[in-house]
Amino acid sequence: MRTVKWIIILTLAVTASSCKEFLTVQPVDRLTGNNFYLSKGDVEANVANMYSMFFEKINESWVIGAIGETRSGEVFASPGANSYSARRVVEFLGNNDMLSVISSGTPWDWYNYINVTDWKRYYQVIQTANILISKLEEGIPGLSETDKSRYIAEATFMRCFTYFWMVRLYGDVVYYTDPYHAEELAREPMVSVLNKCLEDLRPHKDALPWQFPDPALKGARASRGSIIALLMHMNMWNAGFDRNRREQYYAEVAALGTELIQQGPYRLYPLTEDGWATVMKGRSDESLFEFYRSINYQDANAALSPFGDHFLRWPYKFPRFNNQISHCYFIDTYMAKLYPAGLADKRADFWFDDMLSNSGQFTAVKFGFNVYASGNEDRNPDNTFMIFRYADAILLHAEALAELSRDTEAIASLNLIRNRAEATPYTGTGGQELRDFIFWERCRELFGEGHRYFDLVRTQRIMNPTFARNPLNSDQYNRRAWTWPLNPSARINNPKVVLNEYWLNFR
Amino acid sequence: MNNMKALFTLLTAVVLLSQGHVARAQTNITVTGHVIDENRQPFGGVTVLTGRPLRALTSTDDNGNFRVSVPANAVLVFRIVGYNERSQNVGSGRTVLNIQLAPLDNQLEEVVIRGYQKRSKELSTGSSFGLSGDDVQDVPTANIEQLLQGRVPGMNTQITTGAPGFRGSTQIRGLSTVSMTGSGNQSFLQPTSPLYVIDGIPMDADRATEYGFQQQGPGISPLSLIPQEDIASIEILKDAQATSLYGSMAAYGVIIITTKRGNSPIPRVRYTHNSFIRTPPKLRETLGGNLERQLKLQQIYGNAMSVNDIWDISSTPFLSDSLNAYWNNSTNWQDYYYRTQYNQSHNLHIDGGDQLFNYKANLGYFSDQGIIRNTGFTRYNANLRMEYQPEDRRFQIIGAVTGQLGQQSVGDGIGMLQTGVASNGLSSTLLPPPSFYQAGGSHSSVLATDNDNATRLIRANLEGSYEFIQGLRASTSVSYEYESKTEDTFTPAVANNQFAEVYSYNGRTTQLYNRNSLNYSATFNDNHNLFINFFNEFRIAGRQSAVTRNERSPNDQLQGPLGYDGYFSRGGGLLDDYTDERAASFALAASYDFNKRYVVDLSYRLDGSSANGFENLYARNPAIGLRWNFDKEPFLEGLEWLDYGAIRLSWGVNIIPTGTLERIYGRFDITGNYNGQQGIGLDFDQIPNPGLQPKTNTQYNAGLDFSLFNSRVEVIYDTYFKKVENELFEQFLPNTTGFNKIFSNGAGIANYGHELFVMFRPLNLDSDFNLTFSVNGAYNKDVLLSLPDHYSGQFIRWDFDVNQYNQHVILRVGGATLANYLYVNEGVFATDADVPVDPVTGLRYQTNGQAFQAGDPMIQDANNDYYLTTEDYQRTGNSQPLFTGGASIMLNYKNFGFNLNGSFTGKRTILNNALAQRLGLMGNPFGNRVVVPLNDVDMWRQPGDQATYPYVYDYKRYGAIRPVRFDQTLWAEDGTYFKINSIVLSYMFERDLVRQWGLDNLRVYISGENLHTFSRFTGPNPENVTTMGRDVSEGYPVPRTYNVGLNIGF
Repeated sequence: MRTVKWIIILTLAVTASSCKEFLTVQPVDRLTGNNFYLSKGDVEANVANMYSMFFEKINESWVIGAIGETRSGEVFASPGANSYSARRVVEFLGNNDMLSVISSGTPWDWYNYINVTDWKRYYQVIQTANILISKLEEGIPGLSETDKSRYIAEATFMRCFTYFWMVRLYGDVVYYTDPYHAEELAREPMVSVLNKCLEDLRPHKDALPWQFPDPALKGARASRGSIIALLMHMNMWNAGFDRNRREQYYAEVAALGTELIQQGPYRLYPLTEDGWATVMKGRSDESLFEFYRSINYQDANAALSPFGDHFLRWPYKFPRFNNQISHCYFIDTYMAKLYPAGLADKRADFWFDDMLSNSGQFTAVKFGFNVYASGNEDRNPDNTFMIFRYADAILLHAEALAELSRDTEAIASLNLIRNRAEATPYTGTGGQELRDFIFWERCRELFGEGHRYFDLVRTQRIMNPTFARNPLNSDQYNRRAWTWPLNPSARINNPKVVLNEYWLNFR
Repeated sequence: MNNMKALFTLLTAVVLLSQGHVARAQTNITVTGHVIDENRQPFGGVTVLTGRPLRALTSTDDNGNFRVSVPANAVLVFRIVGYNERSQNVGSGRTVLNIQLAPLDNQLEEVVIRGYQKRSKELSTGSSFGLSGDDVQDVPTANIEQLLQGRVPGMNTQITTGAPGFRGSTQIRGLSTVSMTGSGNQSFLQPTSPLYVIDGIPMDADRATEYGFQQQGPGISPLSLIPQEDIASIEILKDAQATSLYGSMAAYGVIIITTKRGNSPIPRVRYTHNSFIRTPPKLRETLGGNLERQLKLQQIYGNAMSVNDIWDISSTPFLSDSLNAYWNNSTNWQDYYYRTQYNQSHNLHIDGGDQLFNYKANLGYFSDQGIIRNTGFTRYNANLRMEYQPEDRRFQIIGAVTGQLGQQSVGDGIGMLQTGVASNGLSSTLLPPPSFYQAGGSHSSVLATDNDNATRLIRANLEGSYEFIQGLRASTSVSYEYESKTEDTFTPAVANNQFAEVYSYNGRTTQLYNRNSLNYSATFNDNHNLFINFFNEFRIAGRQSAVTRNERSPNDQLQGPLGYDGYFSRGGGLLDDYTDERAASFALAASYDFNKRYVVDLSYRLDGSSANGFENLYARNPAIGLRWNFDKEPFLEGLEWLDYGAIRLSWGVNIIPTGTLERIYGRFDITGNYNGQQGIGLDFDQIPNPGLQPKTNTQYNAGLDFSLFNSRVEVIYDTYFKKVENELFEQFLPNTTGFNKIFSNGAGIANYGHELFVMFRPLNLDSDFNLTFSVNGAYNKDVLLSLPDHYSGQFIRWDFDVNQYNQHVILRVGGATLANYLYVNEGVFATDADVPVDPVTGLRYQTNGQAFQAGDPMIQDANNDYYLTTEDYQRTGNSQPLFTGGASIMLNYKNFGFNLNGSFTGKRTILNNALAQRLGLMGNPFGNRVVVPLNDVDMWRQPGDQATYPYVYDYKRYGAIRPVRFDQTLWAEDGTYFKINSIVLSYMFERDLVRQWGLDNLRVYISGENLHTFSRFTGPNPENVTTMGRDVSEGYPVPRTYNVGLNIGF
């Protein structure tokens, strides 16, 4: 009897106490959203995940080369290169025959270019950024105000950068910034998308430092320089398509460029072996934004993905037995136009071997630094994936100034680049000549860095055979032949999405 | 262990206490008497009580006699569990009493259980139905749910599988979900089983099927572990008023099972034995040997398009080389897999004690070796229970221990599905005997795979209660359950490409359960009765499982120890089903009645669960019930013919949380690596949905109960409306969201219907004949109320599976919830001229580049484009039955008994895939599959034939036309059936006779189960189909059972 009474009293006492604690079980076997975002460490881990997801997209094939360098038709496969028939995909890219590029059953199946047409991963980066921003705004324990606004700026940068990247690939894209977005939306005109991105990103520019105290973050993580470079790029793109308001866009680029050059801690390295190797390795003072890669971190780069992979041969690329010649080469007429004979330019000598050979002897030594492989190791040089470089921003600055007819300032910026290359400074006139020269200077300086094709498109020079070996006609341009086909999977569960008009045969 | 220790300590104490108890007797007059039961047999063990409060005086002996000394004006009360209590005045000098006790069959005096409290049925406002333990005896079964089929109005039980140890499907009041798993023939509805409450302990009967049918571990249903011999009563709660007190888990109804307790002053031993034979149903007829060869050759000659097709015969040796002994067999492969099986069950029941202290032990063995070779189920159980209650009934303590072991083999199938058996059974009869290089691998796999699954369950339960003051009682109950589940599969080399494989699964689940309640009952002014019950429940459930899989064990003799080669270790380790779940619930119920005439029930329950997410821990379940016992109205009281009559009304809500932490907050994985920093990011399978609402079941019920002419006619009628809102809907997302799917609310279903139970006892109660006839039926209609906005009222669950079943399901708002989405078949083109011609192109109606011609199926061209494509699919049929019910006849004459039970299911669409597959066997005469006689099939054979089924022998056009494609309404048949579930014939030996043999009683019986199904369905069995109404020929057929059994009492 007493035992029972005792049991009853005890159970009533237990009942009376709070149940909240009893019901709160932290899952030990999985990490759910309610016990994540609880510390600075969680935020850092989430940011790392966001960068790595984006990197996955440029690592899934020979992406930088395909999207930014080959589509105007100057690249050819070297006869006798290993997997020659597969390498010929560069010629299909050069003919803008994108349907063949992505179709299966071709010798270049294993390039998997079909993946480039799928934008899902980009939206996963955007969702991650959106959710992270909303969590940061809700407040994360132990995070100072400075850190909070810094992380918000960094996530906003990644969001806008992803939209910018997608706009250049697909044209109009679906745009949203709310977390846990689950509704289907139609594609939004790209000019409006970039305008929204500009508006989104501008306020966060000053929340990021010019440089981090930790040198390991230099270039590898978004800094103020990264935001400025992205703002400049987005303005320049819109200036090309929203022609009525182009003065405004150029003005903003000019202002941003001036701020970057005058206040920024960035510098151009001398074009020496040491200097250039440092730039290509990454985390340098010349890097505004890059996806830093290092064999020391066991970063898994796909063998195909670096741009240099196709233009290097032994001893820059290993193993020796099947890398006696480069997979591809740039045609001599183009190279001669780029670096005219007789005009001093250290880049022509320092960055290339057999530049005019029209064969597998062509070597882009520019990407041949930081070679750590030997013997039969199958490895590319350990370079970073450079996205925005200081030189790129300086040339954009020059381009915007030239468009605004502020020729003197434009030439000053332009000559910053030429001087570093120990090339003859520009002394010509202003106007169209200067503008064209700046365009060619961008091609020279940013060779292989994934800018040329987008420069051709946004300046409409893609329709001009002087600048592009395989130009588009204006009808093709207006129907956006410069985009990639959009994967039809975008239409699944979303009837509002319309695929890219020019590539309608893509099913 | 602590629980066990405490239990034994308490039991010892209880036993000691009872030793000190001495019945005091007064010495006024001596009364003797004789008590008999309803069969006029002496009734031993009946407690005789007297006084106020009641005290037990004695119990009747084995011959039903008693002798007591009581005051002259005393009232004697005779009491035994399961029978009406009877009181008899001793006054006027009666010293010899003859008492007959009647079993509890008057519904109103039954006791029902509500919110774990016993209540008089007369006062219950909800809709429920009771069965006694006797209803589930005499037919041996592993799963008692099968025996409830057709007994309970509104409960739809379908024995969808004959696999021993598995269970079919049970739904109370229609459809409660739109979630489906699997594809093709293996599409199943997510099970929505009622909550089982066994002796006050809730048990989730769905847990074995939680992960669909792909789950790992033994799929032994927890219901298969309950021995039928130990069941005293079963009660099924249907409406929300009755179930809401059981909370979220009870949203699909509650089945309360009470096991037997001891009740005999001298220990009784009862032994039950069944010997039964299970026989497979009629197998598919096949053409053997030369007949097969001739048919295939005729088919080729008759349908070849060029001489090359004829030449192909010479490169197909089993067709051309009839003289070669190697190709000259005639083997019906089905015979290798199906068998008639003899089984046994034994059950020993020991009980003793009286109201003060009683105990029972039930020891059982049940074996069902399966009609498919290499499958089977065996159960061992030991249930013990002890109860102590002094006669003032202020204090009560109950202890129980249950140990159950279920052992099962599923061969190389997964129990319900026996794909290996099904496909091997279709092998050509001409093929040589099983060998390494022929039917070999899969044939050996079916027969030689060594599969041993076991579920071992131990549960200890301790319950105590105490009445503080008159009417106020507190009670508490604690139980702990530990279940260990293992599966060991050894696939010998011969069955697995020359290398043996070992697979082993090891899992456990635990549940700690505690309930505390406080209830108060009082009567004011003799008219107003009040009952208040407050209780809370706590539950901690845990689960963990792991697997090991190793390929290429050195030989067939070495099944372990494992770990010989890391390279061939094929994964293993912990599975992702780890669970640590806590639940806490609080419930308050109040019941008021005025003179037992007007009853009001109010209840409210809060359910908290750790799975709900931390912001919204509690789900709230309110309910209201009203009852009017109109027979107690003064103006009706004089009616002799009205035994009782009542009208019930109820409303209640059951809320089922569907939000898991993962669904609400998302899941983060350690993935990605950037700049030397480990990344952690979202899992992009499902998007977190912070606004996820719990599923809500709202139910209205109105009922009418009455009994006429001294229980000759009893009627229970219910009508209800049940609305399921916020049904969890797996919605697939556009890829611009980055995620695959979202779990959203949006979907809703309504069910409404009627349930009727009628019982007649046409014969005079005093006659030697005793006939009870009962029939029950339910009509349930379900309607899809809503879908997530996104879908504009229609959602098609496309099902393009590899086997080309393509039997899609369409959900359309406003219609029956689960309809098929198929081509509409309108017959067969009798002649080529019947094929429509496109007036624009002049081409005949075509598909896959092949024009239709005579003998092809006439499939409706819904969009009139003269081309058969997926756009011609149409909504058709309803896979859920509209009518369910059953009937039973019970006839007793003296010691003979006859009992027949039947059940019916009406108006549902079944897709006869079995027939489609049978006809499809003819598609390729060069293939290595068997052929079947089609004489009985109304098939097109020559131009002009008006036939039901298309011509299947045209093998050259077969691939393009696919005449017997699964996705057409040709296979949609009405699945209405009436089944004779069981017939029992029994004989009870005269007690005087068996006494001479030293027995207390002896009863023998023969019974049969699943004896005959009346149906127009042309497939094998209209019940042996999936919950989505597809006839699975890979399924496990439901056997027929013949049984001889006996009960012996010592």
